[in-house]
Amino acid sequence: MARNSHEKRAERQWLLILLPSLVLLLAFVIYPAIYSIYLSFTNEALTGAAALRPRFVGFKNYTRLFNDAKFWNTLVVTFIFVIGSAVIGQFVLGLISAIALRRPIRFRRVFSSIILLPNAAPEVVAGFMWISMLAGGDNATLSRIVSFFGLTPADWLQVFPLSMIIIVNTWRGIATAMILLTAGLSTIPTEIYEAARMDGATPPQMFRRITLPLMMPTILLYMLISAVSTIAVFGLVYALTRGGPGGATELISIYIYNQSFTAYQLGYGAAVAVVALLISLILGIAYVRAMKVEV
Amino acid sequence: MAVVSPSETANKGRSDLIAYAILSLISIFCAIPFFWVLIASFDGNAQLFLRWPEQWTFANYVRVFVKEDGAKWLFNSLFVVGSATLLVMVLAGLGGYALSRTRAWWKLPFLYAILLIRVLPPTALIVPLYKFLLTLNNAEAAMLRPIFGSYTRDIMRWTGFIDGYLGLILVLATMQLPLALWIMKTFFDGLPKDYEEAALMDGATLIQRIRRVLIPLALPGLAAAGLFAFMSAWGDFLLPLILLSSPELQTLPLGLFRAFLRINEIDYGLLTALAFIYLLPAVVAFGFARRFLVQTFSGGVKG
Amino acid sequence: MINLRNVRKFYGALEVIKGVDITVEDGEFAVFVGPSGCGKSTLLRMIAGLEGIDDGDLILNGKRINDVPPDKRGIAMVFQSYALYPHMSVAENIGFSLSLKKVPEAEIRRQVEGVAEILQLTDYLDRRPAALSGGQRQRVAIGRAIIKKPALILFDEPLSNLDSALRVQMRAELQRLHRELKATVVYVTHDQVEAMTMADRIVVLNKGVVAQEGAPMSLYYQPDNEFVATFIGSPKMNVIPVAVTRPAAGKVHLHSPIGLSLDLPDANGAVQQGEAKLGIRPEHLKIAAEGQDHFTAEVVIVERLGVETYMTVGSQQEPIVVRAEGDIAVRPGDRVSLTADPAACHLFDSAGRVIRSATA
Repeated sequence: MARNSHEKRAERQWLLILLPSLVLLLAFVIYPAIYSIYLSFTNEALTGAAALRPRFVGFKNYTRLFNDAKFWNTLVVTFIFVIGSAVIGQFVLGLISAIALRRPIRFRRVFSSIILLPNAAPEVVAGFMWISMLAGGDNATLSRIVSFFGLTPADWLQVFPLSMIIIVNTWRGIATAMILLTAGLSTIPTEIYEAARMDGATPPQMFRRITLPLMMPTILLYMLISAVSTIAVFGLVYALTRGGPGGATELISIYIYNQSFTAYQLGYGAAVAVVALLISLILGIAYVRAMKVEV
Repeated sequence: MAVVSPSETANKGRSDLIAYAILSLISIFCAIPFFWVLIASFDGNAQLFLRWPEQWTFANYVRVFVKEDGAKWLFNSLFVVGSATLLVMVLAGLGGYALSRTRAWWKLPFLYAILLIRVLPPTALIVPLYKFLLTLNNAEAAMLRPIFGSYTRDIMRWTGFIDGYLGLILVLATMQLPLALWIMKTFFDGLPKDYEEAALMDGATLIQRIRRVLIPLALPGLAAAGLFAFMSAWGDFLLPLILLSSPELQTLPLGLFRAFLRINEIDYGLLTALAFIYLLPAVVAFGFARRFLVQTFSGGVKG
Repeated sequence: MINLRNVRKFYGALEVIKGVDITVEDGEFAVFVGPSGCGKSTLLRMIAGLEGIDDGDLILNGKRINDVPPDKRGIAMVFQSYALYPHMSVAENIGFSLSLKKVPEAEIRRQVEGVAEILQLTDYLDRRPAALSGGQRQRVAIGRAIIKKPALILFDEPLSNLDSALRVQMRAELQRLHRELKATVVYVTHDQVEAMTMADRIVVLNKGVVAQEGAPMSLYYQPDNEFVATFIGSPKMNVIPVAVTRPAAGKVHLHSPIGLSLDLPDANGAVQQGEAKLGIRPEHLKIAAEGQDHFTAEVVIVERLGVETYMTVGSQQEPIVVRAEGDIAVRPGDRVSLTADPAACHLFDSAGRVIRSATA
């Protein structure tokens, strides 16, 4: 603790320096979050009777939520989306890339640059690139690739919407997985692999009994980070499907958007938002715990 | 994995081949979507699907700036995101330093709060954010109108919260603050206090210490934080969508999005040219940010 | 018995091991020693199978094992950093090689306990490496090696990570283990003290070639070249440029600009006249008594340790270190008279090869 006057002055200085940031964060993040919670208890809307005189309605929005099939649909869709793209897709491809890039092959920089590129593309552009890949029936790039191999193409975004957005989000997120996993892999000293070599371990055995166990902390960290950021995905999917067809790709972020800005049901939208906030917070707290934040 | 005896060189060669194959496949998967944007933007008669152009032309790019408001969009994006990035760098540079050096009671809660803020989905916040900004905006208009009368509109374009540069810049900056603060704090944690203490012994005040010792030392961290903030804010499309409505303030992602929503024939050449223009700064920033990527994330892995 | 016959290794175009011949007999404790970059660790890794052999033969007990995979050579290695598996307990670390071969649990347990007993690790079997001290970790690494009942155990600078007190203790510990296990050991270090105290046979390596091999004392008293002479022994042997003349048959006269002048017997006339280098260890230079052949020099540095005194005499460019028993009260600036025992003198030609070794 600060004792003498010099230290106390220094501490006041630090606080002063942080004040602008604190004000901004309070105003534009924390206050909206709290206000969201308040809104969810009202029936505020931009059209209809309630628009003129919004009032407090208690838990009515939440009961409506729990009885709303579309809401449960969103949860399921979001869940599948997170599992498919973050937990499986990005992780597996990212891990394979990370391992493959550790070998002393040429063009490593080229490969890693290309693999990291999708992450650098802004959401909207990424959305359009994939519209070209997937929409347009037989002329879509994916259709042409598939026909090349002798299979019949389909109207991808209509027939396999959820699978498609999982593929697209995987494409976008391999970079994060690869970076985090590479960092984790590099914490394992090479001598351990040499010792295992002398003990007679084959590469699959080395992976199963040394690499994976030692990577567990990193893997868990990655899972939490990616789950959280995947729940927040909006623009990419919205550009591709708007949440359709028929709610098949209506992620919770899109559902909130639709409720608030299309149906103008602000109170209800806020209730859904609060649910999303809660889920994210729970994951976030687990993430903070798991990381054993060092201050 | 270590090199092994000559009899196993064949094995090692084969493993390398598998690595090449896998990396090539994944790279192709990652690269393919970009081809369309690239090629169609030079196509005189671009289509939605990927095709080899019959005529190569720059006409699409020209159209972006001449027929459409490409220049305005580009300017708006650069101005808004650039200002937000600068703001973030200043606030996070100073704030990260403060966070690193302070030992006050509020340090730990503040850091936890930052981490938790980062997990909030933006869509969950936009509605109340919009209402709040609307209130601020109306209050500001009420204050300015008596003074500036009919010029209020024009002034509000710059200082307004809704449909005004100021609001968008502030909100964009705020969204990038948590990560930037974290990066700078970690960076300063790794910087030995010796330099500051030597300056302190030489009699430098805080401001002098910051200006002459800290800033030069902090440049790598600032560069990293700035680049990440830039890339993230550049790609943000939700905030401009919600906060902006007048055509003069539209940013690139909105222009792009609206170009796609045209009722009549969509001009894909225009679209892809615009997309490419929008893509370029992000990729350039990414190129610079590459070397910071490993350091930043390794720090995260170790906590 | 392990043989290296004309073994070479290249890194690209650079030859790092240039035709090395070494033999280690069964049960011997052989130490490969040399300065950084001499190739000792590379050689060790080539024996282990972690690096390839580009030319020559590696023969273990009569079988050529150049192309045999590392785990099938019957060789175990203790790494410099111990390379213990951090997420496994001591017992799991030691038994890892057995569990890979799907040996039944009960049998693994039995063997691990046996090894733990020898190494006094029985109380630590369930601990993780992070909870062990440096010395304990090393014993676990040794345990992991000996459970494989190897024909040869390799040690890669195992003591360099320990503090000096622990190092002395572990040196004795390793020697005890060696005797008890009757194992054949190849041990790599840069520390010539470790080599001298622990080895049955020392192989001195320099820039990818064997400078000399033999028992510690024969390297000490009969170095084949200037490199070995100055590498072995601490403080280093003094090497003084001298001019050689032959005043009469059967002996030669050496003269050095600093004033040193002495006669050496040369019965078979092997010594050439001309330029040469005289090597004499600090402990073989003594304060001259009355009447002895001597040369004088000015004392530059004095280090009085009580039990012995080190004096650096001569000039900064050509210092000569003298070790005297007990405490000698000299001060920098004093002049001392020194004498050299001809029997303890070595003579090297300009290429560093020995012309005449001491016959002590």
